[in-house]
Amino acid sequence: MVPEKKNMDILYHSGTVLILLGLSFFLSGTVGLIRFPDIYTRLHALTKADNVGLGFVVSGLALQSGSWAVTAKLLLIWLLVLIASSASCHLIARSAMQKNIQPWTR
Amino acid sequence: MSWMHTTFALILLPAIVVGMFRILRGPTAADRMVTAQLFGTCGVAILLLLGTGMGNPVLLDIALVFALLAALTTMTFIRRTWHGSGKKKHGHPIP
Amino acid sequence: MSYFIFTIFDIVLVLSMVWIAWHLLGTEDIFKAVVLFISFGLLMALAWVRMRAPDVALAEAALGAGLTGPLFLSALRRMNRPRKGERRLDSDEKR
Repeated sequence: MVPEKKNMDILYHSGTVLILLGLSFFLSGTVGLIRFPDIYTRLHALTKADNVGLGFVVSGLALQSGSWAVTAKLLLIWLLVLIASSASCHLIARSAMQKNIQPWTR
Repeated sequence: MSWMHTTFALILLPAIVVGMFRILRGPTAADRMVTAQLFGTCGVAILLLLGTGMGNPVLLDIALVFALLAALTTMTFIRRTWHGSGKKKHGHPIP
Repeated sequence: MSYFIFTIFDIVLVLSMVWIAWHLLGTEDIFKAVVLFISFGLLMALAWVRMRAPDVALAEAALGAGLTGPLFLSALRRMNRPRKGERRLDSDEKR
């Protein structure tokens, strides 16, 4: 009984660490969206926050949930956000190129 | 009720509020749309964390609906509002 | 501890909603107002969740953030393009 409890504790705390990593990605994505000079660089910041940040949050919550159904639903949500964000960021970048918006150079 | 997950959601909420500045003064329309997309993903993360924090697994379904419909707005924005102009210098034309 | 953090969450949520609504009603740029409306729908869904009405939050997520946004963007395109035999007086305004 005791090793089972300890095992669950380790899972819970590693999930917390993963969620904190994901939060840092979200916050840096927001800071990048505010500070970056250009639509392309802002897209770069946004995709990091979307894919990696939500991926860390989802994996941390999946470690803490302890049920396979919840884990499957969390992974489904992450997969949907992954597809949606990469497709729409690609479309926005292509449309910006077609509008002749020049990338920022120093 | 777990206060730790609610604290994480509370950390994510100012990210939305700070991102509002980019909507208020984005030079192009795409900057505003990109910020709205970040809001959608932040909202999904807040809903997931609140679902654990409030102990309510129904919130996962709301996050699922958000994730499904987040792409729709950006696709409509590209197709209806922000096409490429007549001159196609780079890339392939949008069909 | 839990109630304290939930209360702070609610206060931040309500203040940011009032701020967004203020800018949404005060702006002159229609596209900016549409994007602000989409973000307002997201925060409204979070507010319904906090008011322990997840079903209303589900409807708000589907309608407010998912469907009215694309509808408004499509309507914006119709507004900027005059119909075939119709002259608009304010057709020189550009977004």
